[in-house]
Amino acid sequence: MMTKLTAKLAAVLFGTTLLAAPALAEDFVIGVTAAQSGWLATYDQPSYAGFKFCIDEINAKGGLGGKYKAVIDVRDTRSDTAEAVKVAQEFADKKVNFIVSPADGDPTMAMGQITSPAGIPTMTFAGTAPILTSVGEFVFGSYPGDNQQAAVLGAYAAELGYKTAWLLKSPDSSYTMKGPEYFGQVFEAKGGKVIGEGSFTLNQPDFSAIVTTIKALDPQPDVIATWAWEPDFPAFIKALRGAGVTTPVMGADVLDTPTVRGLGDVVNGIVHTSGGYPEPGSKHADFNARFKAATGMEADTNYVVNGCDIALMIDAAVTAAGSSDPKAVRDALANLKDSPGNMSNFTFAGTDRMPLRAVVLAKIENGQKTFIRRQLADPATMPKP
Amino acid sequence: MLSVEGLVVRYGPIEAVRGIDFTVNRGEVFALLGANGAGKSSTLAAIAGLVKPFAGRITYDGKPVSGLPPETLSRAGIGLVPEGRRIFASLTVAENLWLGGAAHGSTAERQQLQKEMEERFPILGERARQKAGLLSGGEQQMLAIARALMARPKLLLLDEPSLGLAPQMVEKVFDLIAAMRKEGLTILLVEQNVPMSLQIADRGIVLANGHIVVSGTGVELLHNSDVTNAYLAA
Amino acid sequence: MEVFLQQCVNAISLGGIYALLALGLAVVFSIVRLINFAHGEVMTIAGYAIWLALLSSVPVVAAIILGITVAMLASVAMERIAFRAMRGASVTSLLITSFAVSEIVKVLFQNGISARPVPIVLPAWMSGSINMGFLTISVMSLISIIVVAVSLVALSVILTRTTLGVAMRAAAEDFPVVRLVGIKANHVVALAFAISGALAGVAAVLWVAQRGSVDPLMGAAPVLKAFIATVLGGLGSLSGAVLGGFVVGAVEVFLQGYLPESVAPYREAISLSIIIGLLVLRPDGLWPAQNVNRS
Ligand SMILES: Nc1ncnc2c1ncn2[C@@H]1O[C@H](COP(=O)(O)OP(=O)(O)OP(=O)(O)O)[C@@H](O)[C@H]1O
Ligand SMILES: [Mg+2]
Repeated sequence: MMTKLTAKLAAVLFGTTLLAAPALAEDFVIGVTAAQSGWLATYDQPSYAGFKFCIDEINAKGGLGGKYKAVIDVRDTRSDTAEAVKVAQEFADKKVNFIVSPADGDPTMAMGQITSPAGIPTMTFAGTAPILTSVGEFVFGSYPGDNQQAAVLGAYAAELGYKTAWLLKSPDSSYTMKGPEYFGQVFEAKGGKVIGEGSFTLNQPDFSAIVTTIKALDPQPDVIATWAWEPDFPAFIKALRGAGVTTPVMGADVLDTPTVRGLGDVVNGIVHTSGGYPEPGSKHADFNARFKAATGMEADTNYVVNGCDIALMIDAAVTAAGSSDPKAVRDALANLKDSPGNMSNFTFAGTDRMPLRAVVLAKIENGQKTFIRRQLADPATMPKP
Repeated sequence: MLSVEGLVVRYGPIEAVRGIDFTVNRGEVFALLGANGAGKSSTLAAIAGLVKPFAGRITYDGKPVSGLPPETLSRAGIGLVPEGRRIFASLTVAENLWLGGAAHGSTAERQQLQKEMEERFPILGERARQKAGLLSGGEQQMLAIARALMARPKLLLLDEPSLGLAPQMVEKVFDLIAAMRKEGLTILLVEQNVPMSLQIADRGIVLANGHIVVSGTGVELLHNSDVTNAYLAA
Repeated sequence: MEVFLQQCVNAISLGGIYALLALGLAVVFSIVRLINFAHGEVMTIAGYAIWLALLSSVPVVAAIILGITVAMLASVAMERIAFRAMRGASVTSLLITSFAVSEIVKVLFQNGISARPVPIVLPAWMSGSINMGFLTISVMSLISIIVVAVSLVALSVILTRTTLGVAMRAAAEDFPVVRLVGIKANHVVALAFAISGALAGVAAVLWVAQRGSVDPLMGAAPVLKAFIATVLGGLGSLSGAVLGGFVVGAVEVFLQGYLPESVAPYREAISLSIIIGLLVLRPDGLWPAQNVNRS
């Protein structure tokens, strides 16, 4: 709460000083969109908390690339894409050095259509739809893409001996639509078969009808895969288990939240992908501890550490570029290779700006996230965006 | 019992009552006459608290009551049988009566009174469980009066109780008014049926365009040609 | 056949929740002409109350009762604080006021608790299912159906057997006359909001039990459906609201269950078209209110 307020205050103060006088040469202005309300707040807020924390750490050590003081201009989008676009235009007019966009692909793509032609590198907090970088050369992902997650998850499903899969998709977002499709492609490439699919709408009130359809499937699938998030996933899994369907369920990184883990018995055994896992002694665990000590808040989702890693990505790019020029920073960012992060290292070189990062497979057991393994997606089976 | 001084009622720019004065004595039937749109219903509405007077004083039982809400006035003993009956059509006859007395007296007293009403108006007893909207016009009028009586009013305002009723029914209504007066009720009667109301009224006034044009005893008014003129003038 | 029966159970159980919400909207609308868009937030408030109670290790049954009570009080409080001053204002002004209330409550939860959903864990037996031979019904559906039925019976007892309940029905027809017989307007309105809030509270209990989480926007989607249900049933008609709720629930479930996958993305559009179609056939609603209020 305190940090949020300070950040807002800083943004307001800075906004006005910028109007009065041009930014000092040493300042590196980062425009950030973080929804305070609406569904995206779930992901934007922890991401922003981690980002802010590490930007402060970097500033304390002399700034980005050791010489530029990072200045954050944070705006609330209320999870509204139109608002995000408006803010993007303001950032472009203001000629910020870098933009961090919402934690979803769709608003990021909408913003990228303005910021990429304006030549400002734009990185999503946690959007994972690999097509999001297709809007322009200046648009970057930060989290392992859905196709990477699907490649690892689909391969794991096949490895467990599952022969048939059923996909639950929603056409309302590219994430919920494409994720399960990528999963299906990989699963079939590994010898499995997709025997059916169903669709839901975001924020759908009720899943009983879908569950009845699933229950009536003959034969039953070996596994159900979905990229649904909160509150849809909790509603779905409650209805599914409530109807007595015990088929294993696999999901994506959005399931990596305390809310999902807090659902009790119904989520026992669910396997999901994740960007990282804080093994004791790891940089990730160290970050979580520092974050908790400084803010008093638990870094209870990976979005926090990933937010921090975005700050590290910018720092690495500015260091490599040796300049604050947006074009130079973009080029340096796009060429980073196995650069160190807290959650995992990141490689942009050779990708279309969706970073290649390790994917973690995790399982929910008795309300805890347990580690299965960490691996890089196999480029041979990774679906094309 | 009731005194009205300089009463003005406005609906936005429309001035319906333009400063009238009259007094109703305890136990009498007081007639309020006038053509359509003269301001009769508006006067009753102001007395019963349905509209706030724009200006003027209303005193009831010696206390100023202008601008009080209708529920307070009802509890103080002012009952209104509104124009057009306005019974609760989707409620049963019994429920209409019950509500009439809901804010007055104990449950036992109310049950007793309800029984009395059903004796006085046998049709209401017969149709107790029927939806009030299914009653005939005259029966609905009886119900509207009975509902008001359930509140044990001391002053009863009747707004055109005989409107649209067959002659037989009209007579019944006037008999009822006479009977109620005998029981000690004070009645302020608005009527279109001028001869019959003046025969029964102790005193009365005639309104035209929101002003009082004539006043006097029932008998005086009955023989005053201004009364007929007031109707024609409208 | 079994699948069809199962979908019927789903339709009744979902429709029942919509019916409770629609009824809550209709009870208030019929009396004060307010389309209360903050009704969803009453539901959300109940959800958070249950969450807080469970966090503080209050027994489940007590938490549920608390949730319903809090919803009732919240609804009455909304009337006191926001709507009473607006009484008699135009339908539009009232509608806008309720939007404002709804936004304020949402923001309070977003900033005061979290924009993210919080989990609600109810006892395991509540998320099980019962085998009834030819049909397996989830315990939650069964509970829903029973609770909805009990609530409807309870409401009809209140509306026909209590003085204030009868007065409420009368007020829906002609509020000034109710006041004329000495019944206090504020009592009737407060009762309407209390009933409306309690119904939203019951709906919230069923909702969070089925969905497992509460978030600041929880009430928005179901109340939008309930609003459609009240219009479909006939604005201001209580029986219409119940009927409308069940129809909306059934349309939703059967389209989800039987629409081919290729047209599934248009499901919402199709369901709204069906409802608009019904309204074209019956412009006053499926079961309109008997009387229009004389102003
Ligand atoms: N609610 C209202 N809003 C605006 N104008 C009104 C309202 N009620 C009455 N009026 C106007 O006030 C005037 C007096 O109306 P009122 O009903 O008092 O007359 P009335 O003497 O009872 O007539 P009638 O014999 O037709 O019942 C009329 O011109 C009428 O149009
Ligand atoms: Mg009149």
